[in-house]
Amino acid sequence: MEYHTNSCPCCNNKHESDDLFCNGCGFPLKGTQQEQDFFYSERNAKEIDLSDLNNNVESARKSLYWIAGLSVISFFVGYFTAKNEQDKFAILFTSVILIGAFLAFGVWSKTKPTAAMISGLSLYVIIHVINAIVDPVTIFSGIILKVIIIVYLIKGIRSVLEVDKLKKELNIN
Amino acid sequence: METQEIQQIECNHCNGLISINNKYCNICGKEQKKDQTLIDSRKWPGLKQIGLFFAIELTCCVAALSIDNFDISTAILFDIIMAGTAVLFFSYNWRENAHLLKWPNFSLKKTIICIIISITASIIVQFLVEHLNHSLFNTDYSYYTIYKPHKYGKYIMIISVALFPALFEELAYRGYLMQKLLTIVDKKEAIYITSILFFFMHLSMTSFFWMLPFSIVLAQIRIRENTLWYGIIIHFTFNLTVCMMEISTFDTLI
Repeated sequence: MEYHTNSCPCCNNKHESDDLFCNGCGFPLKGTQQEQDFFYSERNAKEIDLSDLNNNVESARKSLYWIAGLSVISFFVGYFTAKNEQDKFAILFTSVILIGAFLAFGVWSKTKPTAAMISGLSLYVIIHVINAIVDPVTIFSGIILKVIIIVYLIKGIRSVLEVDKLKKELNIN
Repeated sequence: METQEIQQIECNHCNGLISINNKYCNICGKEQKKDQTLIDSRKWPGLKQIGLFFAIELTCCVAALSIDNFDISTAILFDIIMAGTAVLFFSYNWRENAHLLKWPNFSLKKTIICIIISITASIIVQFLVEHLNHSLFNTDYSYYTIYKPHKYGKYIMIISVALFPALFEELAYRGYLMQKLLTIVDKKEAIYITSILFFFMHLSMTSFFWMLPFSIVLAQIRIRENTLWYGIIIHFTFNLTVCMMEISTFDTLI
């Protein structure tokens, strides 16, 4: 039996010469020019979605670094306004751990984005809930920034899942 | 003649015979991996459910932390609330979680090894934590002070510190949370996320050096053995050793 294999013009997947559609992306191999153009335009729209989603993931990753940066600022403010040595030590101890943790999550999000972002978001929420219990006024300080960071992280986590789904649909890795 | 056997299935749209590996039908062009699409569409709702679970757990832990006069009855109250949450989430996803309660390859040898290692680890950790608390924060913290005033304090402490967390934290984290995450992310990520959330929920930064490795080991055992029981035994023995050491410091064991 002789096989004639060609590559799909859309996703480069190999196909048999008598296939009507690409089995990797659904491209109408034997379709009319109009059908193929329509397929391309739909695929383009999905590729634009994909790039938007990738941007969301990137923003979420950056917000992990932003949290680390903001923690540095709040460390300086806290450290130099602390009343005694014991408070200073406690602030230094917690800040080093938190800044280190958020930086680590930022780096980790390159390879394991879902795990890093879920962990980062959880830690961020926990810190602010505890702060709010200790001193309820802290809920309102920088609330817009807090909301923006939380929204970015949630959007980032959702986008990672959507990116996986779309990549499968478009047959790209 | 060289024959290549490729398993064929019927297209879900035109019923033509196509290769099982096809993402799209090469005859009619319709998408084939419907199961995968269904799994993908359940990921986000799954994560939202985890978010709810996390919010309830966090509320309980923070509430427990913020109570000034934390006594024996508040300890029991929070134990019951946490146990209820664990059971609720576990049984809500009963079909996917039920198999974790079985113990398919029971091994006495493994169980004994688990017990010995967790007792040893507990003693080492207890020693280090005491040293760390003393040198860093100049404080000595003991669970037993909460339970001591009661007539049956030591027995209640064993139930509240060793038995309940072992059963219900395992049910919640290595049971419900891990199983749900496995439908959303890969095994490695599921292990890391459950371990990190487990560590966060204890709201104790200084326990970083031992609690994170401890929960990663528990998560890995749960994945490898596909049962919750080794985790429950390790967790119980670990916490029981802590209880025994504290009771023996302040009181008699029997």
